[in-house]
Amino acid sequence: MLKRLFLPSILLVLAFGFWASSDFQDIAAGVAIFLFGMLMLEDGFKLFSGGFLERALEKATGSISKSLGFGILATTIMQSSSLVSVITISFLSAGLISLLAGVGIIFGANIGTTTGAWLVAGFGLKVKISTYALPMLAVSIVLVFQKSKYLRGTGYVLAGLGFLFLGIHHMKEGFEAFKDQFDLTRFAMTGLAGLIVYTLVGAAATVVMQSSHATMVLIITALSAQQISYENALALAIGANIGTTITAIIGAFTSNFQGKRLALAHLIFNLVTAGAALVFISPIRDMVENISWLVGIPESDYALKLAVFHTVFNMLGVALMLPLIHKLIALLEHVIVQPAEDLSQPKYLSEAVDEFPQTIRVAMRQEVHHLYENAVELIAHGLNLHRDDLFASRDVAATVANSRRQIDFDIDERYELRIKTLYSAIVEFATRIGATDVPADVMEEIYSMRDIAERIVRAVKAVKHLRRNATRYTEYAQGDITELYNGLRTEIARILVEIRKLELADPEDRSSLWLDQERITVENNAKSTNGIIESLIRERKVNATMATSFLNDSNYAYSAMRELLSAARAYYIESEDAMIEVERILALEDDELGELIPDPVSDRLESHPQ
Amino acid sequence: MGLKSIAEKLDKYFGRLESGKAAKIKPSHVAKVIAKLHAKQNELLEELRDADKPSKKTRIESKLVTVAGQIERAEWLQEKISAEDASAAPSG
Repeated sequence: MLKRLFLPSILLVLAFGFWASSDFQDIAAGVAIFLFGMLMLEDGFKLFSGGFLERALEKATGSISKSLGFGILATTIMQSSSLVSVITISFLSAGLISLLAGVGIIFGANIGTTTGAWLVAGFGLKVKISTYALPMLAVSIVLVFQKSKYLRGTGYVLAGLGFLFLGIHHMKEGFEAFKDQFDLTRFAMTGLAGLIVYTLVGAAATVVMQSSHATMVLIITALSAQQISYENALALAIGANIGTTITAIIGAFTSNFQGKRLALAHLIFNLVTAGAALVFISPIRDMVENISWLVGIPESDYALKLAVFHTVFNMLGVALMLPLIHKLIALLEHVIVQPAEDLSQPKYLSEAVDEFPQTIRVAMRQEVHHLYENAVELIAHGLNLHRDDLFASRDVAATVANSRRQIDFDIDERYELRIKTLYSAIVEFATRIGATDVPADVMEEIYSMRDIAERIVRAVKAVKHLRRNATRYTEYAQGDITELYNGLRTEIARILVEIRKLELADPEDRSSLWLDQERITVENNAKSTNGIIESLIRERKVNATMATSFLNDSNYAYSAMRELLSAARAYYIESEDAMIEVERILALEDDELGELIPDPVSDRLESHPQ
Repeated sequence: MGLKSIAEKLDKYFGRLESGKAAKIKPSHVAKVIAKLHAKQNELLEELRDADKPSKKTRIESKLVTVAGQIERAEWLQEKISAEDASAAPSG
């Protein structure tokens, strides 16, 4: 209901304002241009992402002080705490940073955002900034049409700043003219009522504009035009701090539980800070007066004093909350409980990771690994094997031979639930990202991951076909046919074990070349299958029905093995381009595999040498 | 895989490198891969020492043959890359 009334109410207020005063148009247009500038600034910084910003954010997880410093620095540079909080939520959702680091960044962003007030109060109101705005806009448009994404990014950032300046100029002009017609100070309220009412107005204005920056600029310009009292401006600034959490809350709608925790942390921090500022408003005001006197701010420069106030109360909030940060984390984890893991649902590919190349890349990689884990479970259970037994086994063939009991589950249903759903999410994600403007190298990796997922799915499908006969001929000993099927199960199990070893090895030590021996073994065993079967038929050790079943099933089994090996080789390929080249040159081509050293003995052939 | 096949792949790589479609391999890159292969070789030798079952021993020996071949080819590649590197370096 409220949501539906929101837009018409805003439009009505605007229409009334336009009707009541032509100068109101100037102020409203100033706010709009300012917000437009912020959007352009965000777009510009996003073009730079995939580089410095993300590397810095990844490194900002080392300690609380580092993440705090990063939050301050990033927000000062980008002049948008909203953008920093959205990026942080995105990184947290992708599992790139910890919740503690995320909260530290949000704390820092609250200090960083106060630089905006200094910029406007100290520079924006004293210099005719529209003189800078127009040339900036003219230069920016030239850059925006360049091919290089970094030049385009610079263009957007420059245009963003130009529009910010232009917006401030219009707001300033509007208020100057406005004060001749209306005296808003008539509505000034004193005492507790004024404090509460103006705090709520500040919060509401920020929710509407979705930018505390814009609200602060509006407050400072109105204050400098003497349209609001200093006391009410302080309350408005406190309110803006509460209202600004709305962006993080909106951002958290599409994120996972970690993103939601961070949005809640933001809300708690800002509410506590605002509460403390309201309670201790008198001592804080005194402190502002003292600091202003110390740094030489003139008695009547309320705009700069407001900037001091904004900084002081945000720093006070950080000083208050920092010692409680671990308790805050515990509270967040208690209030927003990690949902019980649903293996059938994608864990990493939430929309919150869509916007930044680094989170796209990591989230996709992790989701494909999630799919592989589900696939290993299905393949092992499909062959009536337990993963833990296999991975701990010193004699895989013996473990397989001893695993006779059928694991009772519906493989088709499990496939639909744990494989197909994830695979669909991966394909959908790759398609969605493909339609955006991500760098070519990131896109190449995304498509490679999608292809790996496809191979994993094909391996599972092949094992699905194999399951019925593998169970039928290995549940109890039936002579040679049991040994043949156990041989196939063992070969698949060994590949799962080898891939596991690769996964557990230190990335600095492992190489996808380690799997070449498995590739040779698979091709040699596949080649010798027909010969073995023929010899067993001649010796009347298997009948024609068994032989046909086995030949069909061994095709499925070898196909599963090839797909698993290809998927693992692509997944664990080196990350550095030159190293990839070395591996490519040294790796065996598929057509070379069969020509190499025949695997002397496989468990399947032990009792039936050709 | 014989050295002839790698030689062909190396030629193709140099072609791609010239047209700017491949990253430049330095001898240190090949050395890293050789170290990884040696790590695997050591792991297999350890497994071989612990293996009791004849079929397992044979399987590990077979893997060792493959790794030894990979190391041999990687060393050949390192030689070629080093030579290429030396000839590309400015003289004097």
